[in-house]
Amino acid sequence: MLESLFGNESVERVLFYLVQNKTCYALQLKKQLQFALSSIQQALLRLESGGILVSTLVGKTRVFQFNPRYPFLKELSSFLQTAYESLPEEIKKKYYETRIRKRPRRTGKPL
Amino acid sequence: MITIDFKTISISDLAALVTNKFAEHNIKTILVGGACVAIYSNNRYLSYDLDFVTFETKGKIRKALAELGFEPKGKYFARADCPYFIEFVSPPVAVGQELIRKFKSLPTPFGQIVLLTPTDCVKDRLASFFHWQDKQALEQALMVFQDQEVDLQDIENWAKTENHLNKFKEFIKELKKTKIKSIK
Repeated sequence: MLESLFGNESVERVLFYLVQNKTCYALQLKKQLQFALSSIQQALLRLESGGILVSTLVGKTRVFQFNPRYPFLKELSSFLQTAYESLPEEIKKKYYETRIRKRPRRTGKPL
Repeated sequence: MITIDFKTISISDLAALVTNKFAEHNIKTILVGGACVAIYSNNRYLSYDLDFVTFETKGKIRKALAELGFEPKGKYFARADCPYFIEFVSPPVAVGQELIRKFKSLPTPFGQIVLLTPTDCVKDRLASFFHWQDKQALEQALMVFQDQEVDLQDIENWAKTENHLNKFKEFIKELKKTKIKSIK
């Protein structure tokens, strides 16, 4: 939908994913978005070098999020949210709103 | 004629040298980030990164920096005998949501440096403290405040629009502890 604007589809998907999920890492996106890992990594690095995303190391995983200091973050988020809402429900559910547990789980707690 | 020893050059002299080399190539640059803190704190904070913002193309930048012996190494430019790295931050120049249009010109023996004003430099450091709880950034903001004329009211107004007035109050609390300058 926005790939002509962003240059490629993986950038679009990464941004849509972050609009909904706040944080992400490359391997998670590979599974979730069903994209090649290299293309996801390139998209993340491109967005990071443009100042749109920032990343931190959590253990051995590089976790990305929107850069709260990006000067156009408010406008970009609003634009992405509007574009996201126009996606078909099945696409939203399949790629961006899968029902995985995000709330904390105490260590050692049985399922 | 001034001879340049890249091994021992100061961060401000290198920033001026680079700024002037860019000017020869009609490239406008603004120095931002930790290098501004180093300059304004008289090197109490040490930075080995020179972060510039420019709207020019990478090709033009590469050509200008090659004349000073700096070569691209991944995302930054380096010179074997120089401890400093030169990097380029994506434009525009902004602190949080506020776009910056006024800069300071600082004279050095190697020419002028165009950089963030001390007030914007404090905001820049505080933005890292606001968003990431970065205490080092808070300390750097304090250093700049101690050594430079800073518009505290402007910073407070900015903190309000960034929705971080509580964090700004923490900054004021720390300032009062330093007791170096009187705070209203």
